Amino acid sequence: MNATISFDSVLHVVLALVGVAVFVGLNGLLLVYAERKVAGFIQRRPGPYEVGPQGILQAVADALKLIGKQLVRPDRADPLLFWMAPVLAFFPVLLLFLPIPFSPLLTGWDVNLGLLLILAFAGFNVLALLLAGWGSNNKYGLLGAARAVAQSVAYEIPLLLAVLAIAFQEGTLSLSAIVGGQGGMPWQWNIAVQPLAFLIFFVSALGETNRAPFDLPEAESELTAGFHTEYSGMGFGMFFLAEYANMIVACSVCTVLFLGGWKGPFLDGAWWFLAKVYGLLLTMMWFRWTYPRVRFDQLLNLNWRWLLPLGVLNLLATAFVMKL
Amino acid sequence: METPAILAFGFYFLVIVVGCFMAVGCASLVRALVGLVATLLGVAGMYLLLNAPFMAFMQILIYVGAICVLIFFALMLARADADGDEADPAPAPRTFKGILAAMLPGALLAPILMLHPTASKLIPAEVPLAELGRRLMEDYVLPFELISVVLLISMAGAVLLVWERRDK
Repeated sequence: MNATISFDSVLHVVLALVGVAVFVGLNGLLLVYAERKVAGFIQRRPGPYEVGPQGILQAVADALKLIGKQLVRPDRADPLLFWMAPVLAFFPVLLLFLPIPFSPLLTGWDVNLGLLLILAFAGFNVLALLLAGWGSNNKYGLLGAARAVAQSVAYEIPLLLAVLAIAFQEGTLSLSAIVGGQGGMPWQWNIAVQPLAFLIFFVSALGETNRAPFDLPEAESELTAGFHTEYSGMGFGMFFLAEYANMIVACSVCTVLFLGGWKGPFLDGAWWFLAKVYGLLLTMMWFRWTYPRVRFDQLLNLNWRWLLPLGVLNLLATAFVMKL
Repeated sequence: METPAILAFGFYFLVIVVGCFMAVGCASLVRALVGLVATLLGVAGMYLLLNAPFMAFMQILIYVGAICVLIFFALMLARADADGDEADPAPAPRTFKGILAAMLPGALLAPILMLHPTASKLIPAEVPLAELGRRLMEDYVLPFELISVVLLISMAGAVLLVWERRDK
């Protein structure tokens, strides 16, 4: 890769990273507002209402409050690990956006191993949760971290199996090539061929991003806030942004793999991609306020007894059909 | 082209060395693990420099994303505090043995590499993924399978070690 490094390509990647940082920041504001409104409407209340018309400035006010708050470290917490965790949670996520093809022309870094890059750097999130839970010297934090690792190690396997099925079918790990292999109409998307893989991917993605009903690492009714109990101000803010950024990445990858990416029935472009991603994000929010949080044994049973065998069978069936 | 490559090499080298010393020198086991993660990331960077992005991403996916997380899980179950027994400085003979063991792979590999140097290229070429898979499953299928046997033996060995401890 170094052989092809030139000033232009470095500049391109740096610009893409800045663009991604802006995109993540703005989406953080948007998704917090959307989540609170969705929660409000599902529970038949207006949601945020006071700050600005329809409460539209509530997220901005929250962000300003978070930035203004004092950063506190617990007395016997390990300073290195404690401050490393939020940084490690947030910055690798920006890398995950680089290979995502938003439109035919809008890709940060069109690497031919894009899918692998995303899967590789997504692992940093677990590491950050572990460091946060351990570093804050707090029993709730530690319990949250222990849950996070058991959950994410387990759910990574069916996720990989579902991704592999698509990679087998398309014969590539490049996200743009996978979009290229699908047509514009909904029945030409991979979801029509691989509905089971889509289901496994989406459920595992909920587990990997720690979203309800699988939000056990931060279950607020049992663990106060789990791994980020001790974080105040932007320490918490960075975990929060990282969680939303991870949701966007998961939905984007899902869109690329199963829903035809930026292709649509007419006028292909970034708008189709964004529409599908926000549709999936709304589904995630809808899930959160519809299903109660599962128990830990239910979470692991669902994974090891259902998702994993189904994923293996799906992969074998895909390989068999491919061979025919 | 030359200078950025040398700068990147220096940076990865520094990350690897600092990570190594953290991994063996820190009293807190979790900090030592962070050192190990840094070392593995530095090695992944070296793979990128060799124009082998597949190896680099696999290194991160498997070692950082899975193995280090599992090591962390084991540490967490053992509640390894920074002021436990293992935080005491190691006795001199053990340190000496440790250094000897660390130098052994170098001593074994260096003569072989010096006697049979492989032709190196000025600009590393990226091997396509399909080519890599084909070579692994056709030309090098025996070594490839033997590696899995090594893994199996080490796993069995770990189980055996724990078994003996339990008898005493």
